[in-house]
Amino acid sequence: MISAKPILLAEDNPRDAELALAAMEEQNISDKVIVCHDGAEVLDYLYYRGSFQSRSKGNPVVIFLDLKMPKVNGLEVLQTIKGDTNLRSIPVVMLTSSREERDLQESYALGANAYVVKPVEFHQFVSAVKELGAFWGVINEPPPEISRSDK
Amino acid sequence: MESATNSATNNEPEVSLSQPHDAVGSKTRPDSSDPLWWIPVQWFRSLTIEHRILSGFGLVFVGILIISAISYRNASTVVANSGRDTKSHEIVQLLTDIDIAMDEAENNHRRYLITGDGLYLTGYRSVVKQKPIFIKYLKDLTVESVEQWERVRSLNRMMDRQLNAEAEAIKILDVDGFEAVKKMALEGAAKDELSEIHRIVAEMESHERQALRRRVMESATVTTNTIILLGTGALLQLVLLGSVYYLIRHDITARRRVAEELQRRGELLEAANKELESFSYSVSHDLRAPLRHIDGYASLLRKAVGESLSEKAGRYLETISASATQMGQLIDDLLVFSRMGRQEMLQTTVDVNQLIKSILNDLRLDLQGRDISWTIEDLPEVVGDSAMLRQVFINLIANAVKFTSTRPKAEIAIGADRRITEEVVIFVRDNGVGFNMEYVSKLFGVFQRLHRIDEFEGTGIGLANVRRIVHRHGGRTWAEGAIDQGATFYVALPTRRIGS
Repeated sequence: MISAKPILLAEDNPRDAELALAAMEEQNISDKVIVCHDGAEVLDYLYYRGSFQSRSKGNPVVIFLDLKMPKVNGLEVLQTIKGDTNLRSIPVVMLTSSREERDLQESYALGANAYVVKPVEFHQFVSAVKELGAFWGVINEPPPEISRSDK
Repeated sequence: MESATNSATNNEPEVSLSQPHDAVGSKTRPDSSDPLWWIPVQWFRSLTIEHRILSGFGLVFVGILIISAISYRNASTVVANSGRDTKSHEIVQLLTDIDIAMDEAENNHRRYLITGDGLYLTGYRSVVKQKPIFIKYLKDLTVESVEQWERVRSLNRMMDRQLNAEAEAIKILDVDGFEAVKKMALEGAAKDELSEIHRIVAEMESHERQALRRRVMESATVTTNTIILLGTGALLQLVLLGSVYYLIRHDITARRRVAEELQRRGELLEAANKELESFSYSVSHDLRAPLRHIDGYASLLRKAVGESLSEKAGRYLETISASATQMGQLIDDLLVFSRMGRQEMLQTTVDVNQLIKSILNDLRLDLQGRDISWTIEDLPEVVGDSAMLRQVFINLIANAVKFTSTRPKAEIAIGADRRITEEVVIFVRDNGVGFNMEYVSKLFGVFQRLHRIDEFEGTGIGLANVRRIVHRHGGRTWAEGAIDQGATFYVALPTRRIGS
């Protein structure tokens, strides 16, 4: 059964976003993907701010987070998410070009659930994104939602 | 022999950083036009700083020795003179005594002749008794001077003659009575002898006084000379010591300046290196994105066009993708290379035997279908980062495997040379296609390849990584080979831990 919850893709580069969507299309999950173009937009989405003020309630099933983004970068977004009791349980997958040890260490230290280096080769990229989408969006059981009204 | 020349050059602190002592050996031979005094200056300039300081102290030491010797000699002269002075005074005293005694002998003798009083005869006889003692004493004192000695002999003769003449007169008195000696009693029996004695005594006295005066003057001169010598000597030593002090100070200042300069350059180099690393890091990352897009859109295009894609167009799209992928590989290699330069090193003892064994195990799949005869010697332990060293030997072994792929039977040997205790040299030798030694200097460069891409695959980063890692361990790399006769790659690693 495919969950109705959205997948959040934080990617500042529109081409990368398009390619990722093309990959997810093959998995038939592209219609669930919400693309944010920088870190600030991700936070707006999560906190129902700005253009996401009136979006339907609920956390995304997974967040694919790029490291290098304008305004608020991936690590800062990650830190905010993992520091918030309501958001902490959302799985965050770092999807980045960087294979740097420092980036890996910091990401895991901040509580990233996975770290994936974008392959240059499109076929590999497609299979990586497909597998990620399938695993986090379909196979993996998301944490039970803590209702906002409980708070 | 080699170590001797090494230590000599090591003593020089100047690392050819625009420093003064660079004249060493350049102008050690004086030109014929140079003045004579220039030779020691040239010689001095040809010395190392240690030898200069040593020769400075040597000169000070020799100077002290010379001054001491001359001072000792001068003091001895003064002491000897003062000894002779005492003798001269004694001689003068003795001569005065003799003079008086001989006068007394004459007077007592005359009085006896006139009065016949025995008292006067006793006085005369006591002088006769004294006379040999006087002469012996005088001879002892004048033994050093030939002139005085001769005078003593004349004096002795004259005294004998005087006393004999007087004794003769006394005898005549006893036999013939006063009338026979009346003339002698009035005029004296040995008037001439006595005056001769007075003359000799005066002469001897004057001689001694002259000698005394001469010696006093000599002592004064010697003392003055000694004072001057000590003064100038001390001044000279002071100047010499001052020069040595200046030399040492100058050397220390020069060394400190060199050290500071080296440190400054080190810091600059480190900063430049850091900048370069971060530059290559960001370039590599930003380059990867467009490549991903090229390959991605080429694939999407192929999919969009679908069946109607011509064979030619398909090949074009494939080439676009292949090129992008290749560039991605180059960037990945560059990233690894860059990381090898920055990554912190964990120093442990690494068993190269184990390392090689595990690498060959990992390469098992790649080696399938190849006929390779391996000769692996017993390899030593080295100190270093085991992950990095693993990269080194993976690269060397993979190269050997790759470049022997055209051989029906590949031969790869891995061994070690432990002749030098400070380092171990490990080599990987193959019977592959080899290389032209003309290009050996390019071998370890980044993205340097000696073969066409369609001959042997690879980006040309492997040996650059090998060199970078080995250099970071304080070691060296080099290679030998010939076209179609195989190649040998050497890695020299220090056996001791390197400082940070």
